[in-house]
Amino acid sequence: MSSESSLFSHRWLPLLLAAPLMLLIVLFFYVPVFQAFYWSFFLEQPFGGGSEFVGFQNFARVLSDPEFWMAGWRTIVFMLTASSLAVIVPLMLAIAADRKIALSIPARNILVWPKGIAGASIGVVFAFIFNPFVGLMAPLNTLVPGLWNPGIDGTDAFITLVAAHVWSGIPFNFVILLAGLRSIPHTMHQAAAMDGAGPWRRIFDVQLPLIMPQLFLTFVLEFTESITSVFALIDTITGGGPGGSTTLLVYKIYVDGFRGFDLSGASTQTAILMVFVLLLAACQFVFLGRRINYER
Amino acid sequence: MVENARSINIAASILLIIGIVYIVGPLYLTLSTASQSYEYMLRNGLAWVPGGELFANMGKVINDTRIPIQMLNSMIVAFSNALATCALSFLSAYAIVYFRIRWAGVVFALILATIMLPLDIRVITTYQVASNIFSPLNAVLDVTGLNDLIANAFGAPVHLELSVLNTHFGLIAPLVAHGTGTFLFRQFFLTLPKDLFKAARMDGAGPIRFLFDILLPLARTSVASLFVLTFLSGWTQYLWPLVGASTPDMQTAVVGLARLVPDADGQVPDFPMIMAGAVLVSLVPLSMIALLQRFLVQGLVLSEK
Repeated sequence: MSSESSLFSHRWLPLLLAAPLMLLIVLFFYVPVFQAFYWSFFLEQPFGGGSEFVGFQNFARVLSDPEFWMAGWRTIVFMLTASSLAVIVPLMLAIAADRKIALSIPARNILVWPKGIAGASIGVVFAFIFNPFVGLMAPLNTLVPGLWNPGIDGTDAFITLVAAHVWSGIPFNFVILLAGLRSIPHTMHQAAAMDGAGPWRRIFDVQLPLIMPQLFLTFVLEFTESITSVFALIDTITGGGPGGSTTLLVYKIYVDGFRGFDLSGASTQTAILMVFVLLLAACQFVFLGRRINYER
Repeated sequence: MVENARSINIAASILLIIGIVYIVGPLYLTLSTASQSYEYMLRNGLAWVPGGELFANMGKVINDTRIPIQMLNSMIVAFSNALATCALSFLSAYAIVYFRIRWAGVVFALILATIMLPLDIRVITTYQVASNIFSPLNAVLDVTGLNDLIANAFGAPVHLELSVLNTHFGLIAPLVAHGTGTFLFRQFFLTLPKDLFKAARMDGAGPIRFLFDILLPLARTSVASLFVLTFLSGWTQYLWPLVGASTPDMQTAVVGLARLVPDADGQVPDFPMIMAGAVLVSLVPLSMIALLQRFLVQGLVLSEK
């Protein structure tokens, strides 16, 4: 067999090579994932105080808690608004930067900068910039009192979170989408232009259809990203407030687990969130992935 | 190709200007506010023009807070994360691609699955594992009944305890348990011609020699890209270092920066000092991006393919 000669056939060496990473992954990925599901069926006492099997009681308790449903609903609203913006804004910028104009060179450089700024750092900065008393909106607030106050108005706080999330999400999505646009053969543009399609029309008839794989991928990753990485923003900008209006699930799990020491409740919510994330990815692959033609 | 693209080029330029202002604006306001005094900020709000207090504010951060030692922690975490991820992912991808092992596909799927559920989601139970990394072993011994045997033979069951919380290892290890690197190197190995391997075999290269003398030099740019990517990701982590380190001297700079903002409402915080902290904390990753942008962009593109 020809394939046999193209591979090493050692018994223990490959195991040894893969072992360090596998060990870390089992220990810090599979065990925690398993434990979250396991604990969701037990009543865990904090500080190792023993555990007791309770069946679906934890799920019943969590699912009958209106706070959980509110946090879940906010998570979905945030996921839909923030992740669509975090794909569409870089998409428009990528289409613009793909054109041969003077600004596209500096833009390609500058738009990657946020990758180096931690979510928590930009959270601290946005908390200051959108501060109602000393921030950007302070002059407007003196004209129209109460126009902008993320400390009181939940919607304002939510908008700040979305703005910060889109800001930090630009580099990755921009780079991926721009790489997709640049891999479109020049002849495609020429052929479409010969057929009378102007540059505006070609965005919709040539560019967007051809970068569907990249667009699909950014959406898949962005959905998970928006649910999880928002923690740093919430913790630094709003602290879950005002009145819990920006308490998303990932933040609620942290508060319940690390401040309320409700390990079973936090694990149960973790398990539910994990199932949600996995289902979401599966749905996207089944329903969206099928329609996309990966052939070039 | 000559065509009239004036309208779209103007629109594109305007769009890019808005995009650049959106990205640079907050950074500029951070820097300009960091260079003003607390009193100036109280009078005028955020600063549109830079002042001369930047180094005074940075001095406050360096002398009065734990940020310097926390930046050292960030450096250790980011660097070790990058180094360990590159090395371990390279080895595991090598094992998966170049060896005839029965479960290669399964192993790869198990590694790849880690991308689906980020650390931030599973933080509660990851914390529990980190508080005693032998707890899975203890549980296995209990469940399989081995511990009963041991207890009969030696008088006491095995119960090992080792907490990695509040250590550098504990901050780094869960970050390394991630599949992106393996994925990236596997993709790279698959693009290499098969004849390369055959030629090396013919010349008598064994697996170790092939790894170090042929693959590693070829993979230089991939390694550099992954290094930059994981360094930045290590530096910018927030939730895990927040719970994984309990003393200020073990926390990372990003966590320390967030702690500079007082929790209680009331008095306006010393924003110029906090912004100077933000500048300091972002200096290392930003200069890394400036110097190694090529690798960063390549890494982002490679990690998706």
